[in-house]
Amino acid sequence: MSRRVSLKAVALTIAAIMGLAGCQSTPESAASVVVSQDTGKFVLPSYETVTLDNGLTLMLMPQREVPLINVQAVVKAGSIDDSIAGTAELTAQAALLGAGGKSKQQLEQQVDALGASINADAGEDGSYFTADFMAKDADVMLGVLADVLLRPNYDAAEYDKLKQRTIAQLSQAKESPKSVIARYFAKQLFGDNPYGNAADSSSVANIDVDQLKAFHLQNYQPNNTAIAVVGDFDVAQMKQKLTQLFGQWQGDALGASAAPMKPVFAPAKNRVLLVDKSDAIETTFLIGGLGVKRSNPDLVELNVVNTILGGRFTSWLNDELRVNSGLTYGARSGFISYKEAGLFQISTFTKVSTTEQAVDLALKTYHRLWEQGIDAATLASAKAYVKGQFPPKYETSGDLAGLLSDMYLYGFDASYINDFQKRVDGLTVADTQRLINQYFPKDKLQFVLIGNAAEIAPIAAKYGEVTKVDIKDIGFDAK
Amino acid sequence: MKKTLIALLAAAALAGPMAASATDASDIKSFTLDNGMKIMVLPDSSIPNANMYLFWKVGSRNEHPGITGISHFFEHMMFNGSKKYGPKMFDRTMEAAGGANNAYTTENVTVYTDWFPSNALETIFDLEADRIAHLDIDPKMVASERNVVASERTTGLENSNWSALQQQVKGVAFLAHPYSWSVIGHESDIQAWTQQDLVNYHKTYYAPNNAVVVIAGDVTEAQVKQLADKYFAPIPAQAPPAAIRTVEPPQKGERRIFVKKESASTPNVMLAYHVPATKDPDYYALDLLTSILSDGNSSRLSQALVDQQIALGAETYMPMAFDPNLLYVLGVAAPGVSAKTLEQALIAQVDKIATDGVTQQELDTAKNIKLMGFYRTMETINGKADTVGTYELFFGSYQKLFDAPKAYDQVTVADVQRVAKTYLQRANRTVGVLAAEEESDQ
Repeated sequence: MSRRVSLKAVALTIAAIMGLAGCQSTPESAASVVVSQDTGKFVLPSYETVTLDNGLTLMLMPQREVPLINVQAVVKAGSIDDSIAGTAELTAQAALLGAGGKSKQQLEQQVDALGASINADAGEDGSYFTADFMAKDADVMLGVLADVLLRPNYDAAEYDKLKQRTIAQLSQAKESPKSVIARYFAKQLFGDNPYGNAADSSSVANIDVDQLKAFHLQNYQPNNTAIAVVGDFDVAQMKQKLTQLFGQWQGDALGASAAPMKPVFAPAKNRVLLVDKSDAIETTFLIGGLGVKRSNPDLVELNVVNTILGGRFTSWLNDELRVNSGLTYGARSGFISYKEAGLFQISTFTKVSTTEQAVDLALKTYHRLWEQGIDAATLASAKAYVKGQFPPKYETSGDLAGLLSDMYLYGFDASYINDFQKRVDGLTVADTQRLINQYFPKDKLQFVLIGNAAEIAPIAAKYGEVTKVDIKDIGFDAK
Repeated sequence: MKKTLIALLAAAALAGPMAASATDASDIKSFTLDNGMKIMVLPDSSIPNANMYLFWKVGSRNEHPGITGISHFFEHMMFNGSKKYGPKMFDRTMEAAGGANNAYTTENVTVYTDWFPSNALETIFDLEADRIAHLDIDPKMVASERNVVASERTTGLENSNWSALQQQVKGVAFLAHPYSWSVIGHESDIQAWTQQDLVNYHKTYYAPNNAVVVIAGDVTEAQVKQLADKYFAPIPAQAPPAAIRTVEPPQKGERRIFVKKESASTPNVMLAYHVPATKDPDYYALDLLTSILSDGNSSRLSQALVDQQIALGAETYMPMAFDPNLLYVLGVAAPGVSAKTLEQALIAQVDKIATDGVTQQELDTAKNIKLMGFYRTMETINGKADTVGTYELFFGSYQKLFDAPKAYDQVTVADVQRVAKTYLQRANRTVGVLAAEEESDQ
């Protein structure tokens, strides 16, 4: 039992809103210069970027605290590139089911015997392969990484087992409202736009090995991929090893697709998706709307404003819904930003009988952004908090490899880290007002409520046009 | 500073070839205040941050029926106001200084974790000392916090089948010992404990002689010593808490429970076996045994259950504990697989280790996985603070860190088989099943 809702969820939100280099220029008169709290100096450790002849990007950052190496390869293709929802994810995961002529079992035994691990996953914008191993095992593990990335077996029998398990896990996930509510929300907000692509049991059933091979062939190209290596190694030797393993990788002549994305439309009215879970003992809900892209130049500053609303324990939302009223164990808000779109969401949960009270209080608290605005003392506190909690996000090799691959995927550089404190320090009360008016969705809000519909349907209707689905229905929207 | 510590922990980390490094305990600075509070310092300047971990030797094992859940509730109340820093001021002051915090409660301990830019160190000492010495248990805050904890309890049951199942399994695996109830406590007790219960609990358990404090990060021993003398030393010691008297009687046969949860898409099966306390020499062999069962895709359960499409997933869990506790094995059935089939498959894998043993290769793999995990933990100041505190508490001294490599290294395939035979027996087992529908009598 812990005092707070898992911090992991918070960290994910914050990680997702990192962005961009680019100097943000906030003109400041001498009079408005704020005294800022010193939270210590923090700069990104140096690293080297190399582009091989075939277009593959290598990013190498030595870190010698422990005798380990973390490698993250990122391919610029994610669920937004799915023609059938789930293809990017399964293409990545199935690459681990045997590669380079080794069976799944051989591969897994080889990796586990070293105490190492290799994982594959796809997000909205990219596909990720992460290997974690002892420095002494670099030759073996980099070879394994090259095999799974370049030469996956895509064996039909092994894939079928993964597919069946994935379908079952999609049902299993729905046992926990918290683990699926964001998928309902993204679907409601993005609709047919690729950011609304959510794998479900019927889409996954339609993905066969040939689709994986096609997705791999089209998207896993050297000029569409970066490999970030962080840990205990010699840069020259590592460069040589990677060039040996990946230098001959030739892309398909067609290259990755660059079809323009369908536009994202802002919601035209308040809408409520009511997800019925008949044995629910609480109501879990999200409220929000469109957010900002990763490339938005105000992202760092926007995070500071959100910290005040719902990004820390003393935030307005947590203070009102948890501390003052005891309605919930935790309430928060956050922007989640992707390459071409983003969303903003307020999230919390409460017992069935206080559903209306909690939704009302969340909305009332949210509107303080416009009605009351942010005062200088609260802003100063949030700035200190955001700066003080920043360095530990980049403490491990895994954190740093993730950062480097995000730099490649989203096109920002070390100035994001190195200018972070300066940007936060520069934020004024006047800036916060502009950010609130420009970016936080004030009306036409979107709601997802997961709970016992028999009890909460009348409440749901208060907030907008209601669509009802059963949590056991396939997918994440009304068909 | 950092390098030396790592070398030391690598030595502590097990596994033959790595374990030889010559290091000594002097890399961790430790001192005990006159009031009995033990403080350990691990300087590390890799980031301009530090932490303070306060381990209190109080958890749900110190409770009794009527006040179950009070340890965890106290973890919440420690944030709700004291003499100098009134309600809300602990968090507000810490966050305005760039710090953040959390806390957790287990069956054995309550741990408070502060993370902050290292130049906020004195503020953190001031905040912690104020609530240890002068907590103000405001009845209004108690009333509001009961609801927060009730919400925490509900959200755990709503979202985690593991929680729903484990609570009930513990309830029958332990008939006598306080590990019987869940850390969150019984719903009725959450609503019922009194102001006097809370006052007594704080006085007894939040005494400096009942705490271990670890500070890791961009700090020096001298700095910490000076602040500890100023803020923590004046807090008076109290009479030591009463020992836990109850010893769980040996289990004489398999026990079973069933939990009905309509939304469960497939059955979940949990096996729980009584095992000794963490300080028992068999801990290391049992720890490696759980790894052989469930760490990595080549593990026994993954190969025999997940790969064979009997389970969607399978795992093991053996919490560190002051008293003899449980080793859990959990599986989630694949579609169309009955609870009975899954249960038999899980038991077959456990029994196979007792009858046939494990291979040297499996044991070496488990040791390597442990070593990797250990290094990754040591990569962060939080991992360091947590590990040092854990050894101090559960193995009796942080110095035991230096015995661990040898202890793991010495575990043989015969030891793994022996502990499987000794502890993972039918008569020593509780089986829990969670499913949408209970199987009928026919």
